[in-house]
Amino acid sequence: MSVSYERFQQGMTFAAYRAQMTRNQDRFDENTRLLHIADDDREFFRSLPQPVRVLVITEDWCGDAINNLPIIGRLAEDNNRMDVRVFLRDQNPDLINAYLKDGLHQSIPVFVVFDSDMHELGHFIERPARITAQMDVFVANVFATDPALAGVAPGTSPAQLSEEARMALGRGFGQFRAETRALSDAEIVREIRAMIAGSP
Amino acid sequence: MNESAGSIKVRIVYCASCGYEGPALDLARDLLLTFRYNLAAIELIPWQDGTFDVAVGPLLVHSMLRDGGFPVSATIIAAVRAQLGG
Repeated sequence: MSVSYERFQQGMTFAAYRAQMTRNQDRFDENTRLLHIADDDREFFRSLPQPVRVLVITEDWCGDAINNLPIIGRLAEDNNRMDVRVFLRDQNPDLINAYLKDGLHQSIPVFVVFDSDMHELGHFIERPARITAQMDVFVANVFATDPALAGVAPGTSPAQLSEEARMALGRGFGQFRAETRALSDAEIVREIRAMIAGSP
Repeated sequence: MNESAGSIKVRIVYCASCGYEGPALDLARDLLLTFRYNLAAIELIPWQDGTFDVAVGPLLVHSMLRDGGFPVSATIIAAVRAQLGG
């Protein structure tokens, strides 16, 4: 999609977005506090010959956004080569409808990376592909091993699970996030680096 | 329709981290106003992972993953009526 620089500039700065959040600031800040940027990644972004612009589409109620947005803010804070502008999904249908997941879903967060002339280099939707794949394996394992889910087919809707089984699955989601937090952040950085490195 | 307390339970599981409270409450309201005390219970269960699933008794009547989007209230009401026997 083509986005003009004027449209890009209409977004909030990362700090302004953080300031206007009405919920989940504590989780957002905790995720920010736990971030670590590898020296190699730090150097990559600091030494970019041309600045990049990152358009973010998000909402403060979204769990994946709470998990995956802080790394973008930290990267931008760490160098002067990344200009970030944040747009709220529900107030910017022109943007979100251009970046639907699987062409159907208004999944967030969305990160769109542009070069300094606003040529799109690539985009990221929701969470790293590697994390989604690992989550599928993790959930299948919870179904296979947790006694509360004994005899329940993987993929069974939570609406058809007993309360005990739902709680077991919910604990699994929490454990998965704790175990993959650092990997998820590293994968986001890797994917963005690949977009930039792959550009002409 | 029987005017005694019902035996059918409706369970609405919605993704709280996706902001799906509104559609969940809308559906619950429509069910309450349609069936009054002919339902045993309406359960609203906050969940995650993009879910909006509705079970009427043991039957999964709507799944966002399976069916896409939010259910139309009339579809869920029809499913309840079918289980109530008309």
